[in-house]
Amino acid sequence: MSISTPGGPQRRPTVVSTGKKPAGGRPAAADKTAGGKAGAGKGAPRQSSGGKGRKPITPVKVSQGRSWGPIALFAAVGVLTVAIIGFAAFSAFQGSKPWEKRAADISGVTDYREKDPELVKGSQHQQGTVKYTITPPVAGAHNPAWQNCMGDVYDAPIANEHAVHSLEHGAVWITYRPDLPADQVATLKAKVEGKEKLFMSPYEGLDKPIALQAWGYQLKVDKADDKRIDEFIKTLRVNASIEGPTALCDRGVTATGTTPRDMGNQMGDQTQG
Amino acid sequence: MTAPTTTADAPDETAVADDGTGRAVRRFGVLALAAAVVVGLLLGYAGGLLTPQLTRPGDSSAEAGFARDMTSHHSQAVGMGLLAFQQGTDPEVRQIGVDIATGQQGEIGIMQTWLRSWGLDPAGSEPVMAWMPDGAKLVKNGLMPGMATPQEMSALESAQGRAFDVMFLNMMIRHHLGGVHMIDGVLDASDDPEVTRVAQTMKNTQQTDLANLQAALTRLGG
Repeated sequence: MSISTPGGPQRRPTVVSTGKKPAGGRPAAADKTAGGKAGAGKGAPRQSSGGKGRKPITPVKVSQGRSWGPIALFAAVGVLTVAIIGFAAFSAFQGSKPWEKRAADISGVTDYREKDPELVKGSQHQQGTVKYTITPPVAGAHNPAWQNCMGDVYDAPIANEHAVHSLEHGAVWITYRPDLPADQVATLKAKVEGKEKLFMSPYEGLDKPIALQAWGYQLKVDKADDKRIDEFIKTLRVNASIEGPTALCDRGVTATGTTPRDMGNQMGDQTQG
Repeated sequence: MTAPTTTADAPDETAVADDGTGRAVRRFGVLALAAAVVVGLLLGYAGGLLTPQLTRPGDSSAEAGFARDMTSHHSQAVGMGLLAFQQGTDPEVRQIGVDIATGQQGEIGIMQTWLRSWGLDPAGSEPVMAWMPDGAKLVKNGLMPGMATPQEMSALESAQGRAFDVMFLNMMIRHHLGGVHMIDGVLDASDDPEVTRVAQTMKNTQQTDLANLQAALTRLGG
């Protein structure tokens, strides 16, 4: 077996395979060439090679087949290979589309990085109340202490000044109108609890029932089962952080109340408030 | 068996070589060979470029699930450890606390770097623990095995003195036991050398921690 296969001209095995199929393991390779040639269209004479009486006609056909058969085969295999690799490349490229692009693709999202780059850049610490132009705020100066964002579910409004600091750390902040039906609040809660870099709180005076904030991004939706909520979280949680994925969400302010707590008493005294 | 066909085919070959088309064919053969070499090289190059992308862990892989969930799990231990460093009374409790906090924060960085190098988001689309067989059953209110509830965390924050130390040790022991269970999950599921190496290191560290936490608990009469 090993003697005949290595140098054997292509022609030989083709007949071996058509004439007799169950020929050990090695001829499988030869079988392939046979199949390929037959598939190329000009294999007809070979298939009928049992009837050798037709030999006078075959030479003409075969000589044509030699040039065009392989070309067609080669082209077909080439096109197929390129198509497969192209498709793989395309899907790989799609999958690794940068998050900024995917964020822009979420319908209804407001991208303040584009609208107001200056706001999104700034991240100064500031004691006391900070005035924000966007409600709820998505960026800007903020309190030195961040709101705890370890999947915290706050049942009362919290201070913007702490929450914005959490956004800077990469958290997504889900806010909802206090009159949002309880079952929808529960749906939001299930997305948040136990996951760091996420927190939620009711928010007075929202123009839509639910508003999602990440650093520099906002999305307002009507219902808790809106698919874009998951898209927003998936795309922007941590990614939107300007401080990278290792910024802290724990050891922040855990108390509620919309008045920011000054550094010095907020960490130690927060359990009283 | 093969002999007759060789003779049958051989005349064809000579017949072709004899006329002008034979040269064309041979010339074409050289060109085709050159083209085949070029195309082959290009395909090889494309394959080489694509292979790391296609073989690296995907969005719903156990590796990605582990990296994401263990980041969440670790981040709570970081919070607890920092609290122990700040609020603990026993020197060893404070020491263990800061050691766990910095160590696990570093590991969060490693896992987040994996995700980035795999072209994946820090946030997944799958439910928590879905990467582990029966993992979903272990999740309660979004909390993975061993994680403290928000109520337990605020109880720890309000505790003082020896009560704090004992509570911290108990909570961290439970946290580590849950963590080791998840590490075992990825060690079973993954054969990625980097992931399993880091996971094994995590397991060793947490098992050493467990021994020390338990000894401290015994010493404090917890």
